[in-house]
Amino acid sequence: MEIKRAVQAGTMQSSDLMVFIEPADELEIEIESTVKKQFEHLIRAQIEAALETFAICSGRIRVNDRGALDYAIAARLETGLRRACS
Amino acid sequence: MVVRLISERDQNSARQLVEAQGFRFEENFDVLVGVFDAGELIATAAREGHIFKMICIREDFQGGSLLGELLTELIASCSACRRDNFFVFTKPERRSSFEQLNFRVLVEHPQLCLLEYGNGLQNYLRQQRELVRPGNNGAIVMNANPFTLGHLYLVEQAAAQVDQLYLFVVREDCSTFPFATRIALVREGVAHLANVSVLETSDYAVSRVTFPAYFLKAGADVETLQMEVDLLLFARCLAPAFNITTRFVGTEPYCRVTRHYNETMIRLLAEEGIKTVLLSRREVKGEPISASLVRRLLKKEAFEELDSLVPETTLACLRSHQAAEIHERLRAQGRH
Repeated sequence: MEIKRAVQAGTMQSSDLMVFIEPADELEIEIESTVKKQFEHLIRAQIEAALETFAICSGRIRVNDRGALDYAIAARLETGLRRACS
Repeated sequence: MVVRLISERDQNSARQLVEAQGFRFEENFDVLVGVFDAGELIATAAREGHIFKMICIREDFQGGSLLGELLTELIASCSACRRDNFFVFTKPERRSSFEQLNFRVLVEHPQLCLLEYGNGLQNYLRQQRELVRPGNNGAIVMNANPFTLGHLYLVEQAAAQVDQLYLFVVREDCSTFPFATRIALVREGVAHLANVSVLETSDYAVSRVTFPAYFLKAGADVETLQMEVDLLLFARCLAPAFNITTRFVGTEPYCRVTRHYNETMIRLLAEEGIKTVLLSRREVKGEPISASLVRRLLKKEAFEELDSLVPETTLACLRSHQAAEIHERLRAQGRH
């Protein structure tokens, strides 16, 4: 699928995350997190898995996380990607 | 639940809440949101462009999740506008509430704190990475509306005193000449100077990310504070990234605000270890060259006089058909 428009999903609450997705020529991933030091690699893995599921190879994905659990990350990404591709 | 405050009645409640906390209610905002409890407004916040303001939560509801809820709604209201980053000004004692929400401090001032949400500054610096040079470098921030021989003189003088000179062209598009034209004319005008780099200021110098006046009690010196924030941002975020040790500025014979800015600059940058060098303006027929003079002559279409005030590159643009729109704008308006 293809990212067609700029969208946002999620909230700024604790244990949640905010996802910003927009079209771009290349794939860009930005991660900001209160627990970046400990969990950046896991958040990145979640993003990469979601991108693979949706077969997306270009776009700008920004995640601003406040300690969300992995299923919350997966859900927010899926919502964001579905919105961006629709 | 966070709702948009649209009716006059709701906006009046917001005004009361904001004023009860000792702030001023500002009429200019894009979106105003709030939270009600038992029919009463207990929290409000507004967004103007990518600046959050008037964030007020009634005391007995502070410390919970309301701040995050308000800001979430404000960001959602902006999802179509493709912003990289958002800014908020707050009191120094409230900075940690925003830091917990992943805001990052840009400037700390005794009276206020400027924070950013998102990686705007880092992305901006990363985009300019190729321009970074070691050494004792200098900087000039200019609007160049449009680029004149006065600017060129300033640039040549400054470039001779430093290893690398950075020309920051103000990106904010509220001048007669659009940003794209202004920066193009600067680039063409300094192309012959090997140690000069031209770049845009983004949000980080002389931008609309200035201090909202509501934050201050009436009578406080908003203008000075605004300048101080701008200069601290330059000193702490831009200067270190480009090894800038000197800032150059032209003497200001006309504009009071600019002169005040220059005075504040000398004082404040010295405290941050950056030298300010004032360069006197180049004069033609006993009158300092200024962009406002150029705009006045352009309005009269006095091209023969413009000849001695602007470099050939700028003159070519002023004479070209793309300047038609600028002529139109000049006729329609006053100073800028």
